[in-house]
Amino acid sequence: MAAALGSIAEIERELGAQRVDPESGQPMQRTSVMTHLAWVPEQWVEAAEDVLSGLAERHPSRTIVLVPDPDAEDALEASVEVDCYPVGEHRKVSMETIRLKLCGKRVQAPASVVEPLLLPDLPVFLRWRGLPPFGEQPFEQLVDTVDRLIVDSTEWPGLPAPYGRLADIFDRVAVSDIAWARTSRWRAQLASLWPGIAGVRRIKVLGTEAQAHLLAGWLRSRLGRKIELEHEAADRLTGVELDGEPTPFPPGDPPDPADLLSDELERFTRDRVYEDAVSATRM
Amino acid sequence: MAVAEQQENPLLEGLRLRRTPDPCALVIFGASGDLTKRKLFPALYSLALRHLLPERFGIIGVARTEESDDDFREAMKAAVQEFGRDAFQQETWDWLAERTRYVATDFADEGGQQRLVGALNELDEKQGTSGNRVYYLAVPPSAIATLIHEIGKHRSTDGWTRLIVEKPFGRDLASAQELNAELQQSFEEREVFRIDHYLGKETVQNLLALRFANGIFEPIWNRQFVDHVQITVAESIGIEGRAAFYEQAGAIRDIFQNHLLQLVALTAMEPPIDFTAESVRNEKVKVLRAMHTPGPKHVVRGQYGQGFIEGEEVPGYRDEPGVARDSMTETFVAAKLFVDNWRWADTPFYVRAGKRLARRETTIAIEFKRAPHPPFEESAEGELQPNVLVVHIQPDEGVSLEFAAKVPGQGLTLRTVHMDFLYGGAFRTGIPEAYERLILDCLLGDTTLFTRSDEVEEQWSLVDAIVAFWKRDRPAFPNYEAGTWGPAAADELMRRDGRSWRRH
Repeated sequence: MAAALGSIAEIERELGAQRVDPESGQPMQRTSVMTHLAWVPEQWVEAAEDVLSGLAERHPSRTIVLVPDPDAEDALEASVEVDCYPVGEHRKVSMETIRLKLCGKRVQAPASVVEPLLLPDLPVFLRWRGLPPFGEQPFEQLVDTVDRLIVDSTEWPGLPAPYGRLADIFDRVAVSDIAWARTSRWRAQLASLWPGIAGVRRIKVLGTEAQAHLLAGWLRSRLGRKIELEHEAADRLTGVELDGEPTPFPPGDPPDPADLLSDELERFTRDRVYEDAVSATRM
Repeated sequence: MAVAEQQENPLLEGLRLRRTPDPCALVIFGASGDLTKRKLFPALYSLALRHLLPERFGIIGVARTEESDDDFREAMKAAVQEFGRDAFQQETWDWLAERTRYVATDFADEGGQQRLVGALNELDEKQGTSGNRVYYLAVPPSAIATLIHEIGKHRSTDGWTRLIVEKPFGRDLASAQELNAELQQSFEEREVFRIDHYLGKETVQNLLALRFANGIFEPIWNRQFVDHVQITVAESIGIEGRAAFYEQAGAIRDIFQNHLLQLVALTAMEPPIDFTAESVRNEKVKVLRAMHTPGPKHVVRGQYGQGFIEGEEVPGYRDEPGVARDSMTETFVAAKLFVDNWRWADTPFYVRAGKRLARRETTIAIEFKRAPHPPFEESAEGELQPNVLVVHIQPDEGVSLEFAAKVPGQGLTLRTVHMDFLYGGAFRTGIPEAYERLILDCLLGDTTLFTRSDEVEEQWSLVDAIVAFWKRDRPAFPNYEAGTWGPAAADELMRRDGRSWRRH
């Protein structure tokens, strides 16, 4: 196994070397539409790699996976991978993944590591696994570096309190929430019940805690009044009742995690409806 | 509740809902033909897979061949498996097959018409298709007029009716005008979808995005900065067993009249005020009207002789099965066209289309004027090349820009380099087939990517003028070898102007 790379210069050099097609000796064409950062604490590495492997081919990007290890000795340990995909009849394009382990104090200054590696002029997305440490250096630095933050509030304990901290950063960065994206089929279904749904007083959600709070917050913010929430825990969103009446199951299949993240990577503007829903989760 | 009924639905805000077509029945005339197998059913399958077809939907295949519903479904299943772009999923196929019927008839026969009407009524009842009809005329040009007349006579009084007409639409201006007149007796223009599948290609539509969504191109997209434009629609295949059609059509009716002139129109058109069907088509028609008839000196026709494609010997056109030994049908056409308006006056558009050329390639190349005073001339090796913006329609869809760069080292040696954008490299979601897009647009009632009656007539006016010159002479065919870039006269067409076709 190759030794870990310990500096930005070494990373750049290795990327340059790997971009040469071993068959032809010619540099491969690089195509990127974004820089995709992923903050992945050790416990999320496996799940994150699964999603990223489905994503690279659909969103040609430079992917930078940041794995924090605050207890290790101060160091930067990096590896790079250049993957090649066929395009059309005669061409191949390359995409890059940089895996960076931030050890010791380096965890506190991720922006200084990431900034030199961002692709110029392209949007930067940050996928943060788990509950972000709102107010702490690594998170705050990266939020100010990127154009869009993607979280999955299903991964967060203690809901709905963290939504309050999330709402505080809406003016600094556009936010996507995979938990919110998972409710889209149900929101469309509930919207189809208009105008009957206008007078609803109580919603019961069979799903994750995040989905329950977000659906209730959405109805409250859209209808402009208090709506009571009852939550029955389930791994997936399997049912919604309005004032005790079950609503019909929405058509189609639920999208897989890579599809959900992929859809969020195509959004570039603030999602005001989501922001309103988040703000109304604690009403 | 009464108040809520009058309000707009606040729950719809922010939802990314796809527009789904109304319930309808799709009738395909020419259901046993190649187009249905290779393009239409694979496209319908891909639409079904992505849940883009309405839930209440039905298909009726119509052809003369006697076969049962089950035989037809089996044949279409095999076609989807062979020609589809998506992996075959039994569940999706079952959904489509359940909605598919077959009617064997010659439509001119009254009994056959009644069987079709009966099958449609049955679909309305069983699948809830609500009397909405799309008729797809995938039939030879000779059968189109009869079908238009009969469909008009039997059109449903419930729901809407739309008609998709395959190219070629007529064989000259007079026949196109007759077809348009026949259509106008029973259908409104918004109900007629004249298909030119090139307009359904993502990269052709991307040409509009490139021109009108980027501030850097439009200011230099005119006679002040553009030296000339080259458009090539080259095929390496021969006539693939379509001698009966091709002998009548030739390259000018098969490609030039439709695909090639559409590419010229999209390249030269003014920015539309919006992307509604009428705005886009109004601008295209203006270009077609502004194109003047090139004199005979500015048009070259050719026919391929025996040669080699990818190392394999291939026969000449006259040796293809079904082709007359003394055929004068052209398999290649090149022309120098002008668009007489303020933007393009005196800027030539060199266009060429042909079969059995060196490679399959469709490109639009905008060649810009040379730098007025390059200070490098003495140190440059060879002549400094002009900048060229190339839109690659197929294969390797994308855009490239050619510009000069300094070769590293001492002195100032320059070399032309390419900056490439590969469409499939940046967007990895799979490019939909043109027919998927066009069928879906028709089901949604969107005519933007279809050709309007006046566009078709303008295209035929130009073609008629060119063909009129051809009646006066008899070139020595064949005049180019298969596997080359066409007859020497096509090169001469450019050379006379001190230019040359792009090297491929």
